[in-house]
Amino acid sequence: MSETSGTKRAARRFGVEQAIPLAAATVALFFLWLGLTKYGFWSDQRGPLPGFVPVVVSAGMLLVSALAFLFSWKEKAPTWPRESWAVVLSGALIIAGTAVIGLLPSVAIYLVVWLRLYEKCSWKTTLITFTVIMAIVIGCFVLWLGVRFPQGLILDAILRK
Amino acid sequence: MENFGHLLEGFSVLLTFQNLGATLLGCVLGLIIGAMPGIGSLAGCALLLPLTYAFNPTTAIIMLGGLYYSNMYGGAFSAILLNIPGDSPAIMTTLDGYPMATVKKRPGQALLTSNISSFIGGAIGMVILTFMGPALADVGLKFGPVEMTALLLVALTSIGWLVGENPTKALLLTMFGILVASVGMDTLSGSPRYDFGNIYLLGGIPFTAFVIGLVGFSQVILLMEERKVIPQFVTDKLTLRGSMVTGHDVRRMLMPSIRAGFLGTFIGVLPGAGATAASIMAYSAQKSFKSEEKLGTGAIEGLAACESANNGAAAGAFAPLLALGIPGSGTGAVLLGGLMMWGLNPGPMLFKNSPDFAWGLIASLFLANFLALVISWGVIPFLIKILSVPTKLLIPSITVICVVGSYSTESSMYGVIVMFLSGVLGYVMQKSRYATAPLLLAFVLAPMLESNMRKSFIISRGSIDIFFQKPISVALLSVLLAILLFPVVRFLLVKAGLLKPGAKAA
Repeated sequence: MSETSGTKRAARRFGVEQAIPLAAATVALFFLWLGLTKYGFWSDQRGPLPGFVPVVVSAGMLLVSALAFLFSWKEKAPTWPRESWAVVLSGALIIAGTAVIGLLPSVAIYLVVWLRLYEKCSWKTTLITFTVIMAIVIGCFVLWLGVRFPQGLILDAILRK
Repeated sequence: MENFGHLLEGFSVLLTFQNLGATLLGCVLGLIIGAMPGIGSLAGCALLLPLTYAFNPTTAIIMLGGLYYSNMYGGAFSAILLNIPGDSPAIMTTLDGYPMATVKKRPGQALLTSNISSFIGGAIGMVILTFMGPALADVGLKFGPVEMTALLLVALTSIGWLVGENPTKALLLTMFGILVASVGMDTLSGSPRYDFGNIYLLGGIPFTAFVIGLVGFSQVILLMEERKVIPQFVTDKLTLRGSMVTGHDVRRMLMPSIRAGFLGTFIGVLPGAGATAASIMAYSAQKSFKSEEKLGTGAIEGLAACESANNGAAAGAFAPLLALGIPGSGTGAVLLGGLMMWGLNPGPMLFKNSPDFAWGLIASLFLANFLALVISWGVIPFLIKILSVPTKLLIPSITVICVVGSYSTESSMYGVIVMFLSGVLGYVMQKSRYATAPLLLAFVLAPMLESNMRKSFIISRGSIDIFFQKPISVALLSVLLAILLFPVVRFLLVKAGLLKPGAKAA
């Protein structure tokens, strides 16, 4: 049997396709419990309370999650290419880097590192792409829209002195 | 004729340097973004939403309208040239567009066919919008909390059946979207709900950052799998002269385009349907009509039908968006979010309270349709070069725009974190074949549903009978019942041998 893009042959073992309905059921149970115990469901004087819609939807979601879980055993398991997670990792590093050195330096370093080291682009391609993207970011967001991006702990400490 | 007068007034609103420039900018950006594989109008509008903050509401939404509209044109480019749909409505375009460009070696004609049929479909949609939009608004005035609850229930339920191949998955994400939307403050009392004492969660999940992540950032992660694919075909030279269609081609595309334009507009008006459903249904409908070549082999008729339908739907979707405040698609949801951010409340009173805005927007769609046709034809040779930008350069570029865009919406790293988490969620969902559009639509519609439902119960002092006492509500609840029973009836018909297992009822 040939593989379709991004999927493997029918899985019999527990995988993401089963984990998603289970996670959804957990979320539903949590919203249901909080809705009933903390926010209230119904008042004879005021009608539905803040927990009304979340409780009704959570109850329905529990049922649908159970159905999705049952159907999930007939699903083909998706494949998770390792390189896709490089984008996720880079996103997390940009967030972490922003706290230390600020957002603009973080994305600037990310662009150069990604293009030059990860994609092994030439210096010419790296610099052209870097210039175009940073021109858009600085030109549109900083100069045009006046967005003040976070400066990070280091620059904040220097400026405080 | 009254509406024609309003439309002329709309053109007078449009004819300012700023508004014309915004329409032109929206068209150019829409074409470029639409042509980029995997981005699409939804992500395009979400990414560019922060750029419109500098404009006044009318100019901003005119720009977004132009962007959304021209995106439908642009989405076909990568579908025809690379077999990669620029956005989801262009999925059907690949079926005949790519074979026409490659097997039949008529890439220019395929692109121009797509442009002309998009123009025809869009023009039909806009004429209907001009004359039916205000009528829908009058109907909308009859919609109180009870009727709106019934309508929103139909919209939310139809999302489940219309989007994606698996209704259970779509329903699951629809419900998840409602729960996500309930985080923050209660819609009626304003009391904190599911905020866990966190000041950021108290303000709810930020819409734009959520959309940028769920659609834009998740697409970037998905693009990693295609980054080593080098587009070979686009290196061929393509000229304007070489892209001209013959009179015979025009005759072949005319009737399918007109039929699909009407069908697409009708589907676009339905809440939760959208351009993708329109192009699929128009393509299916075209199979019932005579085509010179078999559909799927590069037939002009097939290409024209789906392109005309998705542009018709794009125009049609503005009718419920403006007149009732109900988005017909994910992109409509972004536009609705944008309108609300600028303090405009789409709904029955929009045409009365803000006529300059409503008619200016409709006029801008007419202009955008014409501009998109001219620009997209003129830039055919240039677009070939844009399409050849390697995916490996596109990935870091879009990542940076996602980060910067989501930060600017909230002026806080909270926006970036929401974008990041929703991007990972969107990626996992899409890999597991969960369509994320229901989540997005439910996220936008849920607060309206909750508010109207609770108001109805307050009016009736907690009695559910109020939903069965008003004719419009009863009619809508009957539709809701039909939608819910449809799979059961279909199952029974298949069991009884009256319907083939694989047959679609639509």
